[in-house]
Amino acid sequence: MTHPKTDRVIDARGLEPPEPFVLTMDALDHLPKGEKLLLQLYREPLPLYKALLNNGFAYESERTPDGTVEILIWHAPA
Amino acid sequence: MQAVLSFEQAPPIAAPFRFFLTAPVFTGLAGLLLMVDGPESLSSRWTGGALALTHLLAVGFVLQVMLGALVQILPVVAGANLKRPLLVASLVHTLFVLGALLLVAGFLDIFPFAFPLAMTLLGTAVGFFLLAGLLSLRGVPSTSASISGFKLALASLAIVLLLGLLLAGSMAGYWAVPMLLVTQLHVNWGFAAWGLGLLSAVAYVVVPMFQLTPGYPVWFSRYFGSVLTVLVLLTSLLLLWAEPEWVAVFQVVVIWLSAAFCCLTLWLQARSKRAIPDVTQRLWRLAMICGLLACSLWMLVHLVPSLDDWPAWPILFGVLVLVGGFMSVIVGMLYKIIPFLVWLHLQNRGRGKVIAPNMKAVLGETKMKRHLQAHLATCALLIAAVFWPEMLSRPAGLALLVASGLLLANLCSAIGVYRRHARLVDERLAILAEGVEA
Repeated sequence: MTHPKTDRVIDARGLEPPEPFVLTMDALDHLPKGEKLLLQLYREPLPLYKALLNNGFAYESERTPDGTVEILIWHAPA
Repeated sequence: MQAVLSFEQAPPIAAPFRFFLTAPVFTGLAGLLLMVDGPESLSSRWTGGALALTHLLAVGFVLQVMLGALVQILPVVAGANLKRPLLVASLVHTLFVLGALLLVAGFLDIFPFAFPLAMTLLGTAVGFFLLAGLLSLRGVPSTSASISGFKLALASLAIVLLLGLLLAGSMAGYWAVPMLLVTQLHVNWGFAAWGLGLLSAVAYVVVPMFQLTPGYPVWFSRYFGSVLTVLVLLTSLLLLWAEPEWVAVFQVVVIWLSAAFCCLTLWLQARSKRAIPDVTQRLWRLAMICGLLACSLWMLVHLVPSLDDWPAWPILFGVLVLVGGFMSVIVGMLYKIIPFLVWLHLQNRGRGKVIAPNMKAVLGETKMKRHLQAHLATCALLIAAVFWPEMLSRPAGLALLVASGLLLANLCSAIGVYRRHARLVDERLAILAEGVEA
């Protein structure tokens, strides 16, 4: 799936917890430095934000008009 | 990687679980009481038995699980971290359980100092929880309908508690308050502002998340909680100023608003992406139908004056709201929260090296379905017992006891899975560590 922000997209809007978390973690395991991952959900994943910061990732989140929360994740600069 | 990314905001598993585990004991006691007391408990809402029964369900089960769930939900949904969650949970839980038991003992007139002791223990437990909860929410911006809903619901719980303390003090003979008026205020704030207020705030997150439905419309979730609370506040002020016509108008609006929440949730559920509804979806559907029946009953009684003389209608209303409504929703939530928490904590414990079991292996669908059937039978028998108390109150009590036992057994089996896997995880991590050292 592609998206203007990145080609690495996880559309987790129809998935029940903890699938979005598991898929995101698996994808981050294989995310090369300099690449970005986009996660789409219908809610703000507050626990994920904290976990990302604790583990050397940076993110930006944006709410789109249809209620989707888009979280763009990448390796934070060292 | 999965487990290395630990959920820092998740409190220890023992913090919410202690509330969940003791809650079914209270519904079991309610079943026992109904079996012993029989039709007496359902003859009028004012008998000691009926009041004990109501508080075993409303305080012992509904409020207890809600407090436990808030320990978990406040950090995850609102980012509001309780300071020292295990200490807060242990202290609140111990005082709460003792206080709730003493409150029931007070209604049943078992021993003379039950009410003052219950007031002290329950007042301290809930007051301390409110303080911790509101402190954790201090500085958290109300960026979602759920966060503002939590703040309003906690403030409403403070009012429910104060009104409850006023009533208990009056029953203990410390002061005199107009019992009918204060009871009506206590019920209005308890059922509508606190109960439905908190339920709606949680529903905006969990219904789409666990039942795979579209989200609640933004215009609804943004205003529902605050409009509901303002209406309950206005009704209370009008009750205090003795303006019965205006009280009736505002109460009708509260009933219509509650019915709108039930209809909207049913409409969303009908649009779920899941082809076959699971146990949680069925329990929520049952709750919303019972909520609509309770609203219809209230409207009917107020439209047909002769029905108002029927002494059992408040009992039927209470059964529909408490057992059919709140209890069903809460059990449905427990069946999602508990497997998720077991998975989450095992995943964190495995530190990315040992993977947690699938959530379906934590609590099987068959066990939950068995309990759902017992819960459905309890609801049906309790409703029928309002009409035929002599014949059906004791069978209804037995059904409630059995359903409570099944719920407790299901919760214990999930904890058993957690303990077994936690041991396995520790053993595997130890073997891996030895391998690295060698």
